[in-house]
Amino acid sequence: MVQARLPVIRLLGSALLALGASAHAQAPEDAAAWRAASRLGYAPTPALMQAIAAHPRGARGWAADEVERAFAASREAARTPAHLATLQGSIPAAFAELRAEREALRRVRADSDMRPAPQELPTRRSALEAASWRVLACSDPELENPLAARLTEFWFNHFNVFAGKGSVRPFLGHYVLHAIRPNVLGRFEDLVLATARHPAMLFYLDQAQSVAEGVTGPFGGARGLNENYARELMELHTLGAEGGYAQGDVRELARILTGWTSDPSAESGFRFAPRLHDRGEKTLLGRRFGAEGEREGREAIALLAGHSATARRVALRLSQWFVADAPPAALVGRLAAEFQASGGELRAVMRKLVAAEEFWDERQQLFKTPYDYACSVLAATGRPEPERLLQALRFLAGAGQPVHGWQTPDGYKTDARTWLAPEALTRRADFALAFSRDSAPPDHYRRFLSPRTRERITQEPAALQGMLVLASPEFMHK
Amino acid sequence: MNLARRALLRAAASAGALAFAPRLVAQAAPMLEGGRLVVVFLRGAYDGLSAFVPWADPDYERLRQATRIPAPDGSEGVAIRLDERFALHPALAPVLPMWRDGILAVVPAAGSPDPTRSHFEAQHHWETGMPGRNSEAPGWMNRLASLEPAGLREQRLVGVGEANPRILAGELRARLVPRGPQAANQGVVGNERVRLALADLYAADGRLAEAFRAGTYSRMETARDLATEMTRADNGAGPAAGLVQAARQLTALMRSGRQLRLGFLSAGGWDTHANQGGVQGQLANQLGGLARALVELRAGLSQPGDLILVLSEFGRTAAENGTRGTDHGRGNALWLIGERVAGGRMHGRWEGLAHGNLNEGRDLPVLHDFRAVIAQALVRNFGLPESRLADLFAGAAWDARLDGLLKRA
Repeated sequence: MVQARLPVIRLLGSALLALGASAHAQAPEDAAAWRAASRLGYAPTPALMQAIAAHPRGARGWAADEVERAFAASREAARTPAHLATLQGSIPAAFAELRAEREALRRVRADSDMRPAPQELPTRRSALEAASWRVLACSDPELENPLAARLTEFWFNHFNVFAGKGSVRPFLGHYVLHAIRPNVLGRFEDLVLATARHPAMLFYLDQAQSVAEGVTGPFGGARGLNENYARELMELHTLGAEGGYAQGDVRELARILTGWTSDPSAESGFRFAPRLHDRGEKTLLGRRFGAEGEREGREAIALLAGHSATARRVALRLSQWFVADAPPAALVGRLAAEFQASGGELRAVMRKLVAAEEFWDERQQLFKTPYDYACSVLAATGRPEPERLLQALRFLAGAGQPVHGWQTPDGYKTDARTWLAPEALTRRADFALAFSRDSAPPDHYRRFLSPRTRERITQEPAALQGMLVLASPEFMHK
Repeated sequence: MNLARRALLRAAASAGALAFAPRLVAQAAPMLEGGRLVVVFLRGAYDGLSAFVPWADPDYERLRQATRIPAPDGSEGVAIRLDERFALHPALAPVLPMWRDGILAVVPAAGSPDPTRSHFEAQHHWETGMPGRNSEAPGWMNRLASLEPAGLREQRLVGVGEANPRILAGELRARLVPRGPQAANQGVVGNERVRLALADLYAADGRLAEAFRAGTYSRMETARDLATEMTRADNGAGPAAGLVQAARQLTALMRSGRQLRLGFLSAGGWDTHANQGGVQGQLANQLGGLARALVELRAGLSQPGDLILVLSEFGRTAAENGTRGTDHGRGNALWLIGERVAGGRMHGRWEGLAHGNLNEGRDLPVLHDFRAVIAQALVRNFGLPESRLADLFAGAAWDARLDGLLKRA
């Protein structure tokens, strides 16, 4: 009697556990599809749903293939809509734009009435186009592979630059499309190098101006070292603040990198200037660097990119991004090991990540950031009109996550502790209302809602139902 | 009947009246007396040596060239003399009356005992009040509010601008208000039908339900408070810089919501590694905006017990770097503004800029723990019992060298 009842109790127990794990009871295959499409992309569009349903191994099989598709996409040129013309521009063209704008501003400075409105400045226009591309790419799987868009977001944020800095602004689009995107599933070291040499980063963290102590500048004055980039390269891009370096290492790395500067006429925008380089001996993390010019910097970056502290940091950040704010330590350990074993091959790390049980575990919840939310609403309601696109950008600015708008090099935080703030849900409700007004309620989303949510929504007038789907608790998580 | 006897009788009468008062009232007396506290956080580490220029120090000229503020000589466009050692950046001229009126005091070499030069670690330490600890922890303003009795502590905290600043985060919820005109807009939750439907939808998820409740409440209260206060305060003024606008919003909220006693504001853009500028330029523009914001705050919060703190995660290098800017340093100037502040003078130790007195030969040293400065303000300005300081700033010691920072009552 007692024995016969045990399995029932066990069953009941696991049912309760499942309830506790996820407040939103969905069919397991729907939950997996939601997770795959919302985390490896931004939202399950009808086409994505079909692809997942058609895959013989379901969401897991689709996810594994998606890594390979994103890799292939990242190695081809990004698709850019015709109306975002500046995204096709070269680096010399961006420098020319910056020069012309500064010249024009100097001319009108005396006469404040002549001053153009900020949004009419050419560099602001190109920054707006770069931000528009990001939002289109995250919401339209025909324009951009969803995982490629996700990883572009992740790595841009890891190597953050700020649109508010005038000298960075004209280079943003190029930085996204040519420094970040092609490398999101390549070797980590190549990604670090691409950002290190790009004018957006060279200007953002002042590396372009950092020279050996005592070198004379273009106008004759003595110039010298600037530690800004060297510090953040170790603290944020590679080792992490606990990565075991000291203030002395920051200075030595800054010396190693002297001479890495911008070049307005080069296609790459980068130039190594031997005259500005510190030829003395340096020691970084115990390793000595002789007078080897540009090679010192490349070797220093290789040393940092391959460091075990870097492997742990990248593994932790990817796990936080794709799995949970406090990800299981075992997963982080396995990803760090894969990072090291593969020599920093990000594709190998991502393969491991999407195959991990932890990725699919329903207890691992993630609350959407404002960017996740805006992209998923846009994806759910169809390709946005230009006015809608601007509305999404305004929503992000108001919600505290403007595109390319984080001032400091640490990038946006992504955890619920930051974003599940009192204002978050009321703002999202406003946004949901605006976007559900003239597009049909996304009916294909109803299967992702719990019976409870579904039932409550049907009590409301049809005109409100679309908005409530987009503002539902299920839609706030990915 | 002599005067003494009359006084005695009066005291007895009021004691009797007190005895009749319900016990609850006595229990609910706020721990923080009277005034309001506003913390202004300058994120990115501002250059305190340019704000309060050690003009008479012979090393200042050696260390600073492109960023130097010329010594005060009474003319325009140079530093403004404060005393025999320090002078004010000319862009800060709007706060000069506060110094002259004796309500602005400065601790020129304060900071965190933890030596990190990472903005993000250091800000975390300042906001949690726990230098050296990088783990999750509630903000010290939230813990301060939680020392208040139930019924009051739930409505103490308010922040403008940031989505969820650490310093306000913790057990108690803060009223967090976006910067700009959208704060005065109720939005879709103003529609009762939508509000009720959403509340039902979120009811099954505790975190969402709580955030929605708080957000709705804050949105509706804020919209109402700002609609009346802001139109008056705006007074046809043109678009102000972000911090000034946020200061105006914060004072409007704290004036109409009398329970809101602990306010927070922040401003970015202080990380001047290159082309910092001197009398004019990048930093001067930032300081100008700060000065206007402080004037705005002070105008709105001018009760005797009100106090404004201006702080930043660390200072910048004493010497200029090779790109006409300054790098991450250690000690920095911390400001206090309020009527109970012993203002018009510098407080605490100052050892000058001679090479041997600099931390690692490069930065202003930290001569006073920032928590000891704040502790002085909390105890002497707000009457916080000293015994409660340990709850707030574990590990920090009372710093008697700062005992003159606030006037004795």
